[in-house]
Amino acid sequence: MFKRILVANRGEIALRVIRTCREMGVEPVAIYSDVDRKALHVRMAHSAVALGGSTPRESYLDMDKVIAAAKASGSEAVHPGYGFLSERSAFARKVTEAGLVWIGPPPEAIEAMGDKITSRRNMKKAGVPVVPGLVDPVDDVERALAAAEEIGYPIAIKAAAGGGGKGIRLVRSKDEMATAFRTASGEALASFGDGRVYMERYVDEPRHIEVQVLFDKHGLGVHFGERECSIQRRHQKLIEEAPSVVVDDALRAKMGEIAVRAGAAVGYQNAGTVEFLYSKGEFYFLEMNTRLQVEHPVTEMVYGVDLVREQLRVAAGEPLGYTQGDVLAKKHGWSIEVRINAEDPFNGFVPSIGTIHNLRAPGGPWVRLDAALYRGMEVSLNYDPMLAKLIVWAPDRDAAIERMKRALAELNVGGVRTSAPAALLVLEEERFVRGQFDTHFLNHMDLATPRKGEDVLVAAASAIHRHLLMRRKALRTSDSSRAAWGTRSRASLSPYPAHVAGNGGGQ
Amino acid sequence: MKYFVTVNGIAHEVDVVERLGELAVKVDGRELDLSYEEVDNLGQVALISGGRSWGVSIEGDEHEVSCNIAGHLYAVAIEDERERAAHAAEREATKGGGTVKSVMPGVVVKLLVQEGAAVEKGQPLLILEAMKMQNEIAAPAAGVVKALHVREREAVASGAKLVTLVAAP
Repeated sequence: MFKRILVANRGEIALRVIRTCREMGVEPVAIYSDVDRKALHVRMAHSAVALGGSTPRESYLDMDKVIAAAKASGSEAVHPGYGFLSERSAFARKVTEAGLVWIGPPPEAIEAMGDKITSRRNMKKAGVPVVPGLVDPVDDVERALAAAEEIGYPIAIKAAAGGGGKGIRLVRSKDEMATAFRTASGEALASFGDGRVYMERYVDEPRHIEVQVLFDKHGLGVHFGERECSIQRRHQKLIEEAPSVVVDDALRAKMGEIAVRAGAAVGYQNAGTVEFLYSKGEFYFLEMNTRLQVEHPVTEMVYGVDLVREQLRVAAGEPLGYTQGDVLAKKHGWSIEVRINAEDPFNGFVPSIGTIHNLRAPGGPWVRLDAALYRGMEVSLNYDPMLAKLIVWAPDRDAAIERMKRALAELNVGGVRTSAPAALLVLEEERFVRGQFDTHFLNHMDLATPRKGEDVLVAAASAIHRHLLMRRKALRTSDSSRAAWGTRSRASLSPYPAHVAGNGGGQ
Repeated sequence: MKYFVTVNGIAHEVDVVERLGELAVKVDGRELDLSYEEVDNLGQVALISGGRSWGVSIEGDEHEVSCNIAGHLYAVAIEDERERAAHAAEREATKGGGTVKSVMPGVVVKLLVQEGAAVEKGQPLLILEAMKMQNEIAAPAAGVVKALHVREREAVASGAKLVTLVAAP
């Protein structure tokens, strides 16, 4: 096993990898941009290397800086996490050329799966079912319109090089095509430097179901069953669970076998995820994510496996040491994950920025919070809006839903607005509880208004909040608002005691 | 003190009266039995009302707050009588046109209209990029572009003015 590895990421996934390293006796090395000097992943690491710069491009995306940090810190391997450089084959290659071990798939496998067009070709060849659509990318409006006629509406437009839902547009009719193409292509160009998009038929009542696979360096591969990720908006997942209500043992075996075949076809190693579009008993290959997924914890909870530990083991050359039968025999219970994103459910989920304060983390039995949150953390537009992942486990799905509702009621992330209340509304929705949903589920939901609202209580509490606030303001020595900024921190340390309804001071 | 409190779009009238250092609260004319205790100065409040207990989180300024009760979020707007009258007058004055504001912080990628141009309802005015997502900002109604408040590549804050439209002559 490695003595020391570099964690080439930030935020919750960096902390996730660091935690497993600690448990394995491997020394985790963090990297950080200027704005992340105080971040939790830096504080929890064995050592930390400054990259300089504040934007991702100047720091976590700068391949040479990251590799120099690995060399300088005496790391033997690099774990990329997800996002940033995790799916860049050029980076994987540079890591290897620098004499370091890449904790991920070979660059050739990333390339074979990274470009959605190439991967579709490869999968067709390997006998993996794919969605009907064009294999060739389009790069101008006229050709897009012509191609659309051939495929038939509704159509999904996706970035040729992409992921994370960026650059994806759904087009229901011809009139929407030109606008959708412009924005999708523009986003793709801005995010990935490649404006090509590809188009495919939008499958009816689709569910997004993905299979976790793991390959060692000796040609052996297994799957860890499926994850259901259909609860998404704008193609960004909000709630994930394992297993899926629509997958029985027979279907799991079939999807798993095809997922392993898909990986084997490109010489895959390490952990990866094969995404399928499922519709009425049929499933089609969507893409393969050649890295650890955000939602990997639900698989870990159900199969009792630490996927990061397995990643390190197989990257170090160890054989898997277990069979497919061994894996499936460990499947137990149900797990749900909710993503806590910094976004505003009252304003169409636009990004919400601010300073994290007023943080209350949930706890109790079978509740797991994967986060790198801390009081005082600045949430900016520089980085991904995902702040935390809340994961629960329970013996069955109903109990898992109840446990997640309980945990969400305990959680409070103040300073920004988050997706957590929206997730709670979904968990209370009867169709979700019955398991009857597809990827369009959130489109038809009001995600801002609690149904059994405590409006009167809220109105009263808010009025008191203002009343006390105004009283505190009136008592300030200076009434200049500019001066108030400077005195705010001191004033907040000694609040005016609230005497309400016969009770004592506010502390 | 009388407050007009809008909770998720529904209006309530709240009376807060201070007597001997204690607060008595009426919501929509009905007296509420309520104990309100600030836990810290970050917005955590221990609330007891009607035989039930809540760990509430309230944050915001005197005009707008977010209130989290048992995981549910409520967007609340608060006005006193003077502010309410001022807001009503402002709404009356801007009738027939209006300013399109940014609902998110981001960067203006592309302007799709020029000053003086006539636009139809739903016509894209500009493309705004936030979190690497590009969004077309459309005209809320038909009209004429009176003023462009932003330039291409300009970073805008949430709530920033983007385009002012006036009713077509």
